[in-house]
Amino acid sequence: MTSTNSTVAAQPGLASAPAQRPTLTLRERIAQQRYRFPDHLLGEILAKRWSDNAAPFLFLTAVVALFGTLLPDLFAINSFTETLRQFGEIGLLVLAMAIVLIGGGVDLSIGSNFALANFCTLALTSMYGVPLYAAAPIAIAVGAGVGLVNGLLVGYLRLRAFLTTLVMLILLRAIVEMMLLSQSVEITSKFVQSDAWDVLGLNRYFGMPASLIIFILVAVFFHIYLSRLKFGWRIMAAGGSRRSAHNVGIDVKRTVCSTYVISGALTGLAGYLYAARLASLNTDAGLGLEVVALTAAILGGISLGGGRGSVAKAAMGAATVVILTNGVIRLGLSSGAGQAVLGVMLAVAVAVDVRWMKNRDKVLSKVYVSPAFVVMPAAARTDEASGSPYAMNMQLREASAIGLGEIEGPEDVIVDRQGHLYTGTRHGDIVRFFGPDYRQSEVFCHIGGHPLGMSFAQNGDLYVCVGGMGLYAVAPGGEVRKLTDETNRSTWSVVDDSRLRLADDLDIAPDGKVYFSEATIRYEMHSWPIDALEGRGNGRLICYDPATNQTRTLLRKLVFPNGVCLAHDGQSIYFAESWLCRVNRYWIAGPNAGRLDVVIDDLPGYPDNINRASDGTYWLAIMGMRGPALDLSLKMPAFRKRMARRLPEDEWLYPNINTGCVVKFNDRGQILEALWDFGGESHPMITSMREDRGHLYIGGITNNRIGRYALKGSDPNWTGYDSYWKKS
Amino acid sequence: MKRFIIKATGAAILGAASLATWGQEGIDDPSRAATYAAFKGKRVAFVPLGMGLDLTEAWAAGMKRQADELGYRFDIRDPNWSTDAGAQAVTQLITEKPDILVLHNPDIQVYARLIQRAQAAGIYVLQINLKSSSLSEGFVGPDWVALGEKVANLAVQKCSPKNGGSGKVSISQLTITAASNIYQMKGVQNVLSKNPDIKVVSTQGGDTQAAKARAATATVLQQNPDLCGIIGFWDGQDVGNAAAVKAAGLQGKVSVFTSGGGDKAQCNKVADGEYFAYVSYNASLQSRDLNTMIKFLLQAKPQPGTFKTNLFNTLDVITKEQPKPTACYSLQDMKG
Repeated sequence: MTSTNSTVAAQPGLASAPAQRPTLTLRERIAQQRYRFPDHLLGEILAKRWSDNAAPFLFLTAVVALFGTLLPDLFAINSFTETLRQFGEIGLLVLAMAIVLIGGGVDLSIGSNFALANFCTLALTSMYGVPLYAAAPIAIAVGAGVGLVNGLLVGYLRLRAFLTTLVMLILLRAIVEMMLLSQSVEITSKFVQSDAWDVLGLNRYFGMPASLIIFILVAVFFHIYLSRLKFGWRIMAAGGSRRSAHNVGIDVKRTVCSTYVISGALTGLAGYLYAARLASLNTDAGLGLEVVALTAAILGGISLGGGRGSVAKAAMGAATVVILTNGVIRLGLSSGAGQAVLGVMLAVAVAVDVRWMKNRDKVLSKVYVSPAFVVMPAAARTDEASGSPYAMNMQLREASAIGLGEIEGPEDVIVDRQGHLYTGTRHGDIVRFFGPDYRQSEVFCHIGGHPLGMSFAQNGDLYVCVGGMGLYAVAPGGEVRKLTDETNRSTWSVVDDSRLRLADDLDIAPDGKVYFSEATIRYEMHSWPIDALEGRGNGRLICYDPATNQTRTLLRKLVFPNGVCLAHDGQSIYFAESWLCRVNRYWIAGPNAGRLDVVIDDLPGYPDNINRASDGTYWLAIMGMRGPALDLSLKMPAFRKRMARRLPEDEWLYPNINTGCVVKFNDRGQILEALWDFGGESHPMITSMREDRGHLYIGGITNNRIGRYALKGSDPNWTGYDSYWKKS
Repeated sequence: MKRFIIKATGAAILGAASLATWGQEGIDDPSRAATYAAFKGKRVAFVPLGMGLDLTEAWAAGMKRQADELGYRFDIRDPNWSTDAGAQAVTQLITEKPDILVLHNPDIQVYARLIQRAQAAGIYVLQINLKSSSLSEGFVGPDWVALGEKVANLAVQKCSPKNGGSGKVSISQLTITAASNIYQMKGVQNVLSKNPDIKVVSTQGGDTQAAKARAATATVLQQNPDLCGIIGFWDGQDVGNAAAVKAAGLQGKVSVFTSGGGDKAQCNKVADGEYFAYVSYNASLQSRDLNTMIKFLLQAKPQPGTFKTNLFNTLDVITKEQPKPTACYSLQDMKG
């Protein structure tokens, strides 16, 4: 913007005509169209946990496409069903390996354990006449028993998982071979063929082999186990960080042990199915399967480092490996080619896993910030000579300080009926200063998050928006209770917007409904400068109804909404959209209910809280002033993105927050008065102000005091509480 | 006119001459076309234990050569020594319905049900060397019991105290449950039960791996320096036994008795003294037997599963004194 373009601010008496919009050049118009494309979704998708699945899924697709082209009959229904039969067993093993990996360990013994289960099943059925189905629980129990030994050694005795299970691999293999040497001829000669073997090994049900059905059931169970039950969460936590898990009270030893037992049991089941399918006492049963399972798990995206993985990933990895090995055999490649391909795959997968883990956050931070194309109307003038109602002055310098140096970050201030002053601090407290001199203070209550906007309900409860937590109520005795911390999830939002990230100001309607704003759903509270840089409509207006205890989102895509204030007539609420420098009015009752008007759209700075004034008008805090450079950069999203990537945050273009300004406006959007602390000596970045008994109390989120400014000619008996609740 | 007469005469002479030539050429075999037609579009699939082995390479080379000559398709699915991958390959092949499956069974049980299923699906099944408990159209391979007896008899002859041996032998088995192993073991036991003066000091399973056998035999030799003979079940594994004997410096004192397909390199080991005796079942002739069965089945087209045959091979004993070059083959020649 340029100064020649700037218009003189709306004068009193002149209705709030929309400010003149600058005309755009063709290039700017093209940029504007280009930035309608929702680039921010890419970052949001990358930030999702399930985006980890993208790489293994693409890889699986590539393998399917490759072998589907080379071997057109690979996916012919009959032949594919047989591939799935093998997939069931491998899938169980990969799942076993995955659960141990997620728990932060590794189980190399599954190959031998598998062979043991195979041996047990065949020995039981042939030598002891146990029916095939009855051998299943025994085989699973034997597998789980081996897992328990691993679990005790690794979990409780803290031995290294790699070495312990490697020893178990060798030990079990030796045991199986010794038993084979002495028993296998007898077992093989006594083998009884019966239909029971066909049930598991040959037949299909609903077109699927039994092993696949069993795998699906087990996979569904463990999906729920890992993602929805406390046991699974504990495994994730223990795998992610042993120490943190211990610190939050998880029995890490038992949790780790449990992963090996699960792994052993699943291996036992897989070995049983293998026995039922092949009835073979070959010494190569399970040989090298630990490597296959490990490859599949890593290929599926299960992290070697623990704490990251899912059943879906295990299944994808297993599918990739099964298709790959089968495909290689069917291509007729020479002996060993399959293993070679698997080896290469394992190396690639491990490399990708490591690189991904290392660079994911970097990529995310580059991609996530996605500035929008914003056109700002010309700003109203503020120089003293302009005659503008915003004209600068030094009046707020007269304000006296309350709690100087005692409080940090009084974002909002409020005065109760008795004349005590309340404010939130960045330490998560609400501090009460006792009137009338406000010399003494106490911690009224501790909430934890940074308390932001506040309002008194009719019963005297203090309602407060807490950054990062939601909407809370504090009883006059100081008891804190949560009102709401969630709202309805938008259907198409990638970010989970059901949780409240940054509820920042509220007001209470005559019917008790609480209207509050959430500044942004994309960033945490302390990242507000990034949201400012984006200038995107990331915020929303939400309504909480205490009668039904329901929370609904009313308006979406607001640009850093803030400063919710009920109009004097109770029919509408005012709120500011900070990064667009405008004040809106949303009608909640009466004939206009549901309508949204822009009241002021050419503010010279970024508006924050709005509160009632005693004369039927409203106070508006302006937390920072606009500057031509920042305004210009809003039309240059690529420039801002580059700035965000390459510069540290404190070197970005910022709103000028080194000055303080409060203005008064009426319901027609006319600016009636401006109070400045130009230069911000005592009140830079004013985020809130509250009128009470002839004084204006001033808060600032970065300030170390509350200001008290005597208003000339205002009603000395007017209080906010009475203004809301007394007339009714 | 004159010119025409000359031309006509010339043509007549040429015609007569060619007629005469035709008369000398004989007639086409009327069954040829039908025979070649029987092979057209047919497919034979071979699932070995693993390629890269003298036996499987020899069989494959023989079958491939005939397939190329007669014009049918010959595929190899190599499970690379994995029983599971082998079973998977056979299962897959059944769904693809080739005309003939040639199977090399990892053990007597694992393909048994699959063989029945293949036959039910209309596929002929031939088994090579290693038998399944399910018999099928043809088994080509040695009579393992007889082979076991033959090898054991050779060992008894050499090692019996009556003949000046120490009477101590060790047995080096293969994969315990493989058909070749079970039946050979039976044959060995048949002989040993009649010769109580022979003492078996060790029985180990080498899993067809020379390295494993070598390690086992090295230990046996340390414990029994007066060992007389090692009864081996297959040359591919017994290479390891011979190496262990050589490493212990006992070559000439400890005799290795083995058997195999008669690859020239293996036969030569008899002359080198690594093996004392070698019983060959000649893989080259085995592949001819397979080819004969393939030709027969594709032309005769019997109902699958209606008959079962065992095509036992001739067993030739090779010793230093009696080298039998005809019992040995070279892969190079087979491919030729």
